[in-house]
Amino acid sequence: MWTSKIVDYSQINNTDLRCLISGKNSMIIVREFYNKKECQIVVENIKRCNNSTFQNGKLKHIGPFLMAHTTNKKTYFESAKKTQNIFKKIFCGINNPIYRIYHTVGQMLPEYSISLAHESQNYYSQAVIRIHEKGMSIPIHKDNVTYEGREYALSNIDHQISCVLHLQESEDGGELIIHNRRWKRDDERLRNIDFGYSLELAKDISTWRESSINTGDLVIINPAYYHQVTRVTGDTPRITLGMFLGLYEQDYKIVAWA
Amino acid sequence: MTDIIWGNGSDVLSNNSFVLNVTHRKDGNKSDYSDNERVTITSANLPGMPYDMSSWTKELLKESVIDAFLKCEVEKRDASGVLLGKVSHSGAGGY
Repeated sequence: MWTSKIVDYSQINNTDLRCLISGKNSMIIVREFYNKKECQIVVENIKRCNNSTFQNGKLKHIGPFLMAHTTNKKTYFESAKKTQNIFKKIFCGINNPIYRIYHTVGQMLPEYSISLAHESQNYYSQAVIRIHEKGMSIPIHKDNVTYEGREYALSNIDHQISCVLHLQESEDGGELIIHNRRWKRDDERLRNIDFGYSLELAKDISTWRESSINTGDLVIINPAYYHQVTRVTGDTPRITLGMFLGLYEQDYKIVAWA
Repeated sequence: MTDIIWGNGSDVLSNNSFVLNVTHRKDGNKSDYSDNERVTITSANLPGMPYDMSSWTKELLKESVIDAFLKCEVEKRDASGVLLGKVSHSGAGGY
């Protein structure tokens, strides 16, 4: 059965990650990855950010993400550089969750090095903080930098994984659904105009709906598999910190970006 | 307002033209568009395609547009029925 793997920090291992990459598991949830008090501090620091910090008035992001700059590397790298200071402020005085994620995945693949991706002096975006308020959802989609990010040097990675730390959950909605169908180029015929794909893709395939994600949990998925987030229906916004990791198998190297 | 159509790239005809299998049309388009339109690209926002269009090749264009979901902002239709317009990858913006 296609299911999620729920572990605590001391149980993380290479096998679970390899099963995720090969599509045997739907997701890995690392329980209480980041403690609730630190999540609260981060959320308070985010609230203190002024409006100019946010990348998008509608959905509210902090930090640029590569997929929004597929043909505009200059803007992406400039924005990524500016955001590094914002993240420093948000995580000031507490355990930086970005590095904790590096460390965790590093423990799953101890023979690999892990670092923020860069092209000469230009560093990629470290992470994206997403604030989904009541009414927002994320349509069914995949993430695949080897296809859509081909202007970028890291588009030659062997595997991509997605890590999302849940900093605040809404009372209702905002659930992650992952479908047991891996993207293939032919699926582009089922694209929606603005973003994502037709739900027809998810017909008659097994699906995993995860409703037990708590504040402080880290969720790791293989983003080549179609996934979506249901509409947030509670008054409290859903707040997450997300990043991608790319594996270079022959070089035993992992690069991070958002 | 510019007419807009969307669809998937299929045959590449030259280093700057291809066939678009049209799947969506903007409400309010002034003209009608068939399910298969030949498009000559006048400007582009396509990952992998050089900014300088004079260095485009048929092979590069194939790699970029075949099967890809594309947006075409139509400028005009020429005497031979070919559309001229700006072509971009559509919906890659992400959330």
